[in-house]
Amino acid sequence: MAAVKQLCKSLVQPLLAVIIGLLTGALVIAAVGESIIGTYQEMWKGAFGSFYFLTSTLARATPIMLIGLGLSLAFRAGVFNLGAEGQMVTGAISATLVALYLPAPGFVKMVAALVTGVLAGGLWSLFAGYLEARFRIQLLISSLLLNYVAVLFAGYLVSEPFQDKTGSAAMAQTPMLEKSVWLPKLFAGMSVHAGFLFALAAALLIFFVIRYTPFGYEVKMLGQNPFFSRYGGVNRVRVMLTGMFFSGGLAGLAGTVEVLGSHYRYVEGALTLPNFAWTGLMATLLANSHPIGVVFTSLLLAALQTGAMGVERNTDVPLELASVIQAVLILFISAKFSYDWWKNRNNKRRESHGAV
Amino acid sequence: MELFDWSLVSSTIRMVTPILLAALGGALCSRVGIFNVGLEGLILVGAFSAIVGNHFTGSLLLALLFAALVTVLFSLLFAYMTIGLRANEIVVGVAINFLGLGLTTFALRAVFDVKGAFYDKDMAGLPQWQIPLIKDIPVLGDIISGHSPLVYFAFLAAVLLHFFFTRTVTGFRALAVGMNATAARSLGLKATRLQVLAIVMCGVLCGMAGAQLSLGQVTMFTEGMTAGRGFIALVAMMLGQAHPLGILASSFLFGLMDALSIRLQGFSLPTQFTAMLPYVLTIAAMFFLKDKGASSAGSSQQSTR
Repeated sequence: MAAVKQLCKSLVQPLLAVIIGLLTGALVIAAVGESIIGTYQEMWKGAFGSFYFLTSTLARATPIMLIGLGLSLAFRAGVFNLGAEGQMVTGAISATLVALYLPAPGFVKMVAALVTGVLAGGLWSLFAGYLEARFRIQLLISSLLLNYVAVLFAGYLVSEPFQDKTGSAAMAQTPMLEKSVWLPKLFAGMSVHAGFLFALAAALLIFFVIRYTPFGYEVKMLGQNPFFSRYGGVNRVRVMLTGMFFSGGLAGLAGTVEVLGSHYRYVEGALTLPNFAWTGLMATLLANSHPIGVVFTSLLLAALQTGAMGVERNTDVPLELASVIQAVLILFISAKFSYDWWKNRNNKRRESHGAV
Repeated sequence: MELFDWSLVSSTIRMVTPILLAALGGALCSRVGIFNVGLEGLILVGAFSAIVGNHFTGSLLLALLFAALVTVLFSLLFAYMTIGLRANEIVVGVAINFLGLGLTTFALRAVFDVKGAFYDKDMAGLPQWQIPLIKDIPVLGDIISGHSPLVYFAFLAAVLLHFFFTRTVTGFRALAVGMNATAARSLGLKATRLQVLAIVMCGVLCGMAGAQLSLGQVTMFTEGMTAGRGFIALVAMMLGQAHPLGILASSFLFGLMDALSIRLQGFSLPTQFTAMLPYVLTIAAMFFLKDKGASSAGSSQQSTR
């Protein structure tokens, strides 16, 4: 009974946030003079209206989910990793180069590309962690800065040495990968690919690691109370670095599956323009860094985005409807955390007064 | 065309202005202990409202005031969420960026009924001030004279802010709040009020940065026209260690690289490395200049110290 009550309590706030987000959306739709009901109907159709749109939503959710899961691991350990974008791009470009130039049969090449993507993203992330552990350079800032370095360097690679010279227009992109390294689609003709399964598997894996392994316990303890964890003998640096490595590795995997599963080449801007990294951050925050929760919140955010695309196709309401609703969701959710914190603080204060 | 010449310096000064203004705003927040990631959204709101103000009042002064007002309202939302509701400032900053992008796009549709960009050829941009005497000096005149008023305002703001922090009582109090809000409160300082004031001033500065973007060089607004300048300003603030004069220097570096990138494109040379340099330098600088201006950002991190 208590568990059910607890579950309801934890569901009320997100539900309320969604309702308030949709109400704000209704306000801005009314401001541009469109029908509110009609627009939301288009949104629903754009996200789930047919099997094709449903699978597009799943495809869109894939990188968001992987990034969100990686970030949730870092946040759980109390590390504010803002570098998902750079880690994703580093993973994607390294995997693309392996998939293009490794002399091996197709399947081996695909696996090698996936592993490279994870390793490259992880190492790039580990670098920020190392700067923090060794030189005490704040990870929050260094990870943000390393984004620019990674994105610009990848942009250089695909516009100069590894550019696709075969096409007529000089686009900043690599040549097309051969078909044998493409990740299989889950349904013929639909955009969702095997990367979605990786994301689901990663969610379960992280859930079990955090729940049932000593490492997961150390991560949680470090995130909740760093002083207590030091007292308890947790090697802070080791846990932080491991957390950062897997956090970046998942972001790298997100970029890699996007390349191997939907673009089949590294196109400059294809990963950064849809704002996957910041959306992944939002998914994590909405789910309060819970790995299973991230699965649902990233589906929700992806549905908002693909739905907004449908809205833009069929009505005069712009795509940015999704940005407004997302922003309101986040604002509301972040205020919720603080209320909890405030309540706890007041309770504690009362207790300490009582003790005196 | 030469790679380096005096017109490069002149275009640097124009590129610098929005970054410098926003970075000074970020520094104000940083100095009172708030890490404001929402600069990007605030600049965008400023750029849009400046165009709206100009379109409906026809007066540039009113347009600037309107831009400042709207951006301040937006930054008050940031202040209410971070200080009033104690939400995580990075989370709120990210949300402000999304909200700024979304709302300006919607307002563009609602107010002007256009998609993508609004351009009005009859609309007057900010004037180019020709400074008497100075404009006749051969090289210097071309560099210093002939910019929009906001360019001069930006440099003045940097100097004024430096004086504010080093020579005024309120400035000292603001620094004290940033160093340790609890200790400052125990001395009877109104920490919350100072923090809100800093965020409001940051809003004004970001509004001006936006106005320079939309009314300074061109007279138009396009969706998402800030194109990452808010984050560049954030980095310039870090590189300048949240010190007004340091920010002046670091913003110049970013502006120079920006201007140089455009010029390198003319020579069909890769521009990525010049664009990358400021970020690499910022990371390098953090080896030497630890724990000064940006130390306040650490307060929101749980375990990293």
